[in-house]
Amino acid sequence: MHPFTYTKPRTAQDAIRAIAAGDAGTRFIAGGTTLYDLMKLDVEAPRQILDVSTLPGIATIDTANPRELVFGAGAKMVAAATHAGLRADYPALVEALDKAASQQLRNMASLGGNLLQRTRCNYFRGGAAYACNKRSPGSGCAALNGLDRGHAVLGGSDSCIAVYPGDWAVALAAFDAVVDVQGTAGPRTIPLAQLHREPGSTPETETSLARDELILRIRVPKTPLGRASTYHKIRDRESYAFALASAAVALRMDGTRVREARIALGGLATRPWRASVAEQGLVGQVLNAATARAAGEAALRGARAGHHNGFRIELGIRTVADALLIAQERV
Amino acid sequence: MTTNTFPDVARIDAHDKVRGATRYASDDSRPGMLHATLACATIGRGSIQSIDTSAARALRGVRLVLTHAELSRLQPAGFLLAGGYGVQSLQPLTSPNIAYFGQPIALVVAETLEVALQAAALIRTAYAVEPHQMGLDAPEADIVAQQESPLPKPMFEDVHVGDADAVFAQAAVQIDATYASAVQHHNPMELLATVAEWSEGRLTIHEGTQNAEGVRHGVARQLGIPAEQVRVISPQVGGGFGQKNSLQGQTVLAAFAARALGHSVKLVVRRSQLFHASSFRAATRHRIRLGADHGGTMLAAIHETDAQTSRHDLFPSVNAEVSARLHGIANFRARERLVRTDTQTPGYMRAPFEHMACFAFESAVDELAQALGQDPVALRLANDTQRDPVTGKPLSSRHLAECLRRGAARFGWARRSMAPGSMQDAEGQLIGWGVAAGAYKAATAPAVARLRVYDDGTALASVGVHEMGQGIRTALAAALSRKLGIEPDQITLDIGDTNSTPQHITVGSWGTATAVPAAVEAADAMLSALAELLPGDAAGRSPAEILRAAGRRSLDVAIRRKAPGQPDAVFTRLATGLPAPLGPNYPDFVSFSYIAHFVEVRVEPTTRRIRVPRVVSVADCGRVISPRTAASQVRGGVVWGIGAALREASEVDPRYGGFLNADLADYVLPVNADIGDIEVEFIDRADPLVNAMGIKGLGEVAMVGVAAAIANAVHHATGIRLRDLPIRIEHLM
Repeated sequence: MHPFTYTKPRTAQDAIRAIAAGDAGTRFIAGGTTLYDLMKLDVEAPRQILDVSTLPGIATIDTANPRELVFGAGAKMVAAATHAGLRADYPALVEALDKAASQQLRNMASLGGNLLQRTRCNYFRGGAAYACNKRSPGSGCAALNGLDRGHAVLGGSDSCIAVYPGDWAVALAAFDAVVDVQGTAGPRTIPLAQLHREPGSTPETETSLARDELILRIRVPKTPLGRASTYHKIRDRESYAFALASAAVALRMDGTRVREARIALGGLATRPWRASVAEQGLVGQVLNAATARAAGEAALRGARAGHHNGFRIELGIRTVADALLIAQERV
Repeated sequence: MTTNTFPDVARIDAHDKVRGATRYASDDSRPGMLHATLACATIGRGSIQSIDTSAARALRGVRLVLTHAELSRLQPAGFLLAGGYGVQSLQPLTSPNIAYFGQPIALVVAETLEVALQAAALIRTAYAVEPHQMGLDAPEADIVAQQESPLPKPMFEDVHVGDADAVFAQAAVQIDATYASAVQHHNPMELLATVAEWSEGRLTIHEGTQNAEGVRHGVARQLGIPAEQVRVISPQVGGGFGQKNSLQGQTVLAAFAARALGHSVKLVVRRSQLFHASSFRAATRHRIRLGADHGGTMLAAIHETDAQTSRHDLFPSVNAEVSARLHGIANFRARERLVRTDTQTPGYMRAPFEHMACFAFESAVDELAQALGQDPVALRLANDTQRDPVTGKPLSSRHLAECLRRGAARFGWARRSMAPGSMQDAEGQLIGWGVAAGAYKAATAPAVARLRVYDDGTALASVGVHEMGQGIRTALAAALSRKLGIEPDQITLDIGDTNSTPQHITVGSWGTATAVPAAVEAADAMLSALAELLPGDAAGRSPAEILRAAGRRSLDVAIRRKAPGQPDAVFTRLATGLPAPLGPNYPDFVSFSYIAHFVEVRVEPTTRRIRVPRVVSVADCGRVISPRTAASQVRGGVVWGIGAALREASEVDPRYGGFLNADLADYVLPVNADIGDIEVEFIDRADPLVNAMGIKGLGEVAMVGVAAAIANAVHHATGIRLRDLPIRIEHLM
């Protein structure tokens, strides 16, 4: 851990001005559950920290708006998970929050910061002993021929197969959420599906955010699919564990036939992974164990196994299938 | 012998613990205290060519940086298993050689922890790298047959009874299978932490340890000072599980720095460093051959173990000590081999041999039951014994059959359908019911106990034992209270402090069987001494009343006791911090604790998650002194078994050495949500031979057999026999 200055800008404009004036060592912080952790591991070493957790209006959650759910980026995960009415209308969103991390972490972590949670790849977190293109570009990827049980089967490259570890972003991806950001160049809105990048040859660049851009809020278009939704997460223990495979699914049915489906995968890919082809394939189908499995297979098509993670392709297929059948019961 | 059962009372430190009021070494803070941290090697093996600490030393607030250049004159404390005091023979920072990934290479002391951490990260090291090897599939040169090794015999002699090979070869039904486990780490909540303080040439060490006397003598030897100048205080250990059983590498570093700086120094080993700082449960592989006749009589067994050790020490393998005793098998042969790996020395971790030995053997017994088409409870009952199969001596007590019968009744075992995969719940989850037995030696250590009663109705008891959460303070208070008629909260317990009585290492489940009979013997001596104060007039009066009547402010007694058949020489070992236990082989008998575990698992039909909604455990640990904490011990042991069977693995990337998942998020311990109902029952029958209180041991037998019962239940649920731990989703896909 290295010394850093800590300041608390009073407005979003001040925060953006301050980060623009700083260098690459200037970072926003909200809950701190990723950044402080990585600082203690010497993986992150910011020199200046701008605390945006108490910016005016940053923690507001508004579900009364007729068109969309609005989540302030600074709202705590626990605040969203317990927000009135959300569990009934959007169980997938609440389950994604409830099944993330631990109660203590959910009390600290912010919704915006959670989107930017960095990978749990042990070679990334382990420091200089290990090759890691994400932490130290050009040094190689120890995971490619290493202990890759938890690594990505979708969206990886020859440079990096680190999994995007979050749950919340996966559920948001299924609901076509967008992210409002503000930077020196002004405000803009990014579809959540375009917020995270695949590693390609530059795994150190994880998002499409410019360095001076701050996430202000997350907006989710309201949809009747919300009620028949679930976030199904399979992990090595019942709580406080990252997904081996997860699926956020939502359904709109015509009787026994699928009218519309949403499927996003977590824990399997280098970014939140929307499975559009699998969604299309379900439309017009009678939903049963066989069609659910076929959707899972479509969702995992193109997945590539490494040395120890091959089982997670089949696990992903079954997770999607189970999630669809759980969601069907909520129609 | 105590014939009465003890009442169920709350642990005496319960409120302090739940309020966070209990203080541990890492909570310690004192004026002028400096903070230390370690920098550690990042290669698998080799040596330091150069170490540049200039940037660290130049940092404001840094008071001292120590490397092997400064510490090479420390004297060796020796390895616990080779007559010394250390968790391993290797003391970090005394040579430029790097034996394993994560070995400490420098100590930084600073005015704040933050500065110390920053400075440690500024140390630059150049290494000469040598090849390392991490696995059990090692070159022949790295494999040591224990029988031919320098490890002392008969203590570490291979078990050999009858003619197992010939009888097995002729056996009508044969099981031949190999079982294994990954490395696992203790991970107690409390980190390794030392606060060292010098005053007028005397050193005081505050450290959570299970072996205050060993730490005292070991660190004195390292520093070349008399042990009389060292005091070690360990009133509360925040979880030991064997990790804190001996002198750790960080202790002398804190002491050395504190002496050099003239300030107290606190050194906490961080969680990520802990995976390489202390011992761990060795990776092991067990080939079990078990032969029986068609009727189900077990005739012969062969247990061959490969167990990991380090390159610099021989940590023994004692797996067959228990597997040869589980059932009445007349022909038994063991072969224990040690495999050298480039790690710190592995060590004792709760049920260090018994957990895996019984996982392997009790899985094999389940496989035998299946091959015979017999019920696995009935098979075990049919092979019970009351005589020790290894020595032929009588067993001091063995109520394993009753554990099995009572457990089966409580669990509802009679409703189990035999065929694998034949039980399901309404939601289609596969139900599996499994059983396994466990045993653990009932050992005893020598102890000195001192007791003082005051005329105000209070008492002060000193005895050699450490409180590490198991509830020994509660058990001591319960036993003393009953004897003296003094309420438990009026009894001060002075334990874990070398200024008190000698503090023998508290491990091996001998704590209660050692300390409680000693304390009770002291109480008996006190009652006699009180009676002499008021000849003929003491009856019916409390100790305080007698003292007041006799005009005495207080009265002291002291006793010492040892295990049955031990020579007086053990008291010399006790006084010099060396282990001096006896058991399970006593001169006239053999003594073990026993347990039967019944486990229900549910396996998801699709994503194959394994849940453990229900466990019934019935233990024969002799007399139960503190029913509440004893039941907690068993629940904790079952949780450990669930962790060992279904969760925990220290990941090894052989290219790098060391352990990769060195934190509590990635080293997957069970959490509350993983744990269902655990019903605990005790036979609670005093052992007639092992000590006057009839106490055997409990802390470790609690865990033994749990993993086998789980794996057997998984087999019953799915028809899939899994022989490698931990069992995870992928093994059932």
